Amino acid sequence: MQKLWILVVMSGLVGLYLFSCSTGKMHPSGIDFSKVPFEHLSDYGFFKGEQNKLMPSPGVLPYRPASELFSDHAEKSRFVWMPEGASASILDTGYHHLAFPDKSILIKNFYYSQSENEKQRIIETRLLIKMEGEWNAFAYLWNDKQTEAKYEIVGATIPVTFTETYGTKHSIEYIQPNKNQCKSCHNQGEKLVPIGPKVRNLNFAFDYGNGEMKNQLTKWREAGYLESFDQADLESCMVDYEDKTSSLGLRSKAYLDINCAHCHSPKGPASSSGLFLTYEEKDPTRWGVYKTPVAAGFGAGSFTYGIQPGKADSSIFIHRMKSEQVGVMMPEIGRAMVHKEGVELISEWINSMD
Amino acid sequence: MFRIIFLALILAGTLVGCKNSSDPSSIATKDLKIGSPDQVKKIIEQFILAEDSTVIELPTGHFEFETQLIIDNLQGLTIKGKGMDKTVLSFKGLKAGGEGVKIVGNDILLEDFSVYDAPGDGIKTQNCNGITFRRINATWTNGDKSKNGTYALYPVQCTNVLIEESHASHSRDAGIYVGQSENIIVRNCEAYGNVAGIEIENCSNAEVYDNKVYDNAGGILVFNLPNLPKADGARTRVYNNEVLENNHKNFAIPLNESPNGNTVTMIPPGSGIILLAAKEVEIFGNKILDNKTVGVAVANYHITGFPSEAPDWSPFSSDISIHDNEYKRPLAPPDLSKDLGKLIAAKNAHGIGKTQDIIYDGFWDKSKGAELSSNPMNICIQEKGIEDLHFTLYDLYGGEDDIKAFSDYNPFVCDYTVQTDVEELKTL
Repeated sequence: MQKLWILVVMSGLVGLYLFSCSTGKMHPSGIDFSKVPFEHLSDYGFFKGEQNKLMPSPGVLPYRPASELFSDHAEKSRFVWMPEGASASILDTGYHHLAFPDKSILIKNFYYSQSENEKQRIIETRLLIKMEGEWNAFAYLWNDKQTEAKYEIVGATIPVTFTETYGTKHSIEYIQPNKNQCKSCHNQGEKLVPIGPKVRNLNFAFDYGNGEMKNQLTKWREAGYLESFDQADLESCMVDYEDKTSSLGLRSKAYLDINCAHCHSPKGPASSSGLFLTYEEKDPTRWGVYKTPVAAGFGAGSFTYGIQPGKADSSIFIHRMKSEQVGVMMPEIGRAMVHKEGVELISEWINSMD
Repeated sequence: MFRIIFLALILAGTLVGCKNSSDPSSIATKDLKIGSPDQVKKIIEQFILAEDSTVIELPTGHFEFETQLIIDNLQGLTIKGKGMDKTVLSFKGLKAGGEGVKIVGNDILLEDFSVYDAPGDGIKTQNCNGITFRRINATWTNGDKSKNGTYALYPVQCTNVLIEESHASHSRDAGIYVGQSENIIVRNCEAYGNVAGIEIENCSNAEVYDNKVYDNAGGILVFNLPNLPKADGARTRVYNNEVLENNHKNFAIPLNESPNGNTVTMIPPGSGIILLAAKEVEIFGNKILDNKTVGVAVANYHITGFPSEAPDWSPFSSDISIHDNEYKRPLAPPDLSKDLGKLIAAKNAHGIGKTQDIIYDGFWDKSKGAELSSNPMNICIQEKGIEDLHFTLYDLYGGEDDIKAFSDYNPFVCDYTVQTDVEELKTL
């Protein structure tokens, strides 16, 4: 009896040793997908060493879409990982979508590099993991010590003070969405889908560090993450709306695409509005030009059309982008603040229309 | 003595105040206990962890949420409270998102609870095949209605929608709004204190019956708006409803502001039933009483002044049948706050300031016939005692300075029946 007891203790200790040993050496290739979601972010092994340095493990590849979502000035670092031997393929080039293999993981960290005491503060890390043909969303909330992030389903409200790029200091309540709110944006035809990683968002040169500037699709191909393709067949890249050398029209379309089109598209949750803001949309009525609202309620303010050409201040677009009132503001989730630069861009665009 | 009267007045004032702030709908809930944070968190988790066929049982109490309650694409789910007067989900403190409750899935049953104070819509259900609202109450408790949300009950892009024994009140747009859906019943509901009581918009195959719709600016609306994914709707029967005293002010926009692009902002207070660009609608057996501006209005989209061309959509109302309804005009004059109200008050075929029972704005599709007197849009009116009703046909083609109004209903005396098929929903 006593022997058995000792055996149990011994095996427990061995287990403990193995576990503590493995935390530092975890790598996504060791993920048991039947146990996902893990309780802690570090359990996946995406980052080596101190977790809050976000130093990717081998095979965890950083990426960036050409234009980025505004979410209360949160900065993002994104990574992709796929299992050995599996790679994404490019679907028909018209819609620029990537077909990801099972066990693909997209990792997105939300942080402020100039938070309290001018220190970096990571708020949350969101994962999209493809299993048995379906994407799943899991969000992890970082602790105050910035040593670890824990799986969270009901969301959270986190007071944050930070200084943005242009030097302005803000104190806001950062809202981490609840699990089912992920699909408020990540939704096409009621299926959960990634938003950023599309061919036309990735088809540009990215700085991988150590002097390596390389087209992201080429880099993915080299890493084995993308099946072979002919660059000449691909759509050119969407512009970066912050790049003032691009045309006002394309910058505006890019801004609306990355901030609005996940809902405002024919298969998105806001399809019921008939307002479609994808980069590819060619019909001005569909973008909102002289289009009356449908279910905007008081979100329409005292205005008649989504876009009243030449009159940004009389356009529902600007009214809703400038609002911080729940029920009026657009996007309706993902921001608590006004994106001043975004309002200026879209205003300039609307004012330039005949 | 004075003191007693004074006290009585204060007391009366307090009682009225209480009723208004805590029990805005006719469902009394003010004695409910506030739920604990743990109870609130548990309800959020139940929504997130729900699977196909789950029954989410909501306890008795008043529960306050800062986050949305969302059902993500499930089959056969039930959400059941303890009663409209026993279970309240409040979204007064919601920090992000439009609607309080959002449901996606098939064969969904919502039963016996109340939703309060969502900043946008109370309950939105989208892309559902099979959605039942039974004894659901959605309302806003703000004294100041200008802070209320858009729709109370809001199924959109759904198939097989049943809404019954439910209450919808105080919304800044429509209380019960069914949009871009097919196969619909709205019955035995009460809609009051909204801008619009019940609205069927870009829908096909709908029946609205046995409802009590009162104290809204507009009672029942059947609309087709342009540029929507479901481009046009048809086949609606509106019957055996009580459409009473819909004389509430239109608070969709602040007082003194002009209507915006939302068509509902143009609805004149005192409107019973309004059809706008509606197709195949039959209105019969309703009690349309004491609506001060107009009992039934048949309108074309041109009257909005908005662009009226869109793909796969017609701005004209056509194939309309209005028969065997009961009308009563109140003593109050028509509304003067909206253009349509002013038009009716100033120009009609029965005298300045007279309430109208039925109006037709007189726009028609000229490719269907050269003269309106040949009734090219098939607008049929057969009311008992029609000779004593106030009927006005307008001619608005001459613009504001040349408005014509006619009382002759004879071109529109015809028989027409709309066929709907919602038998399967009736037995749910």
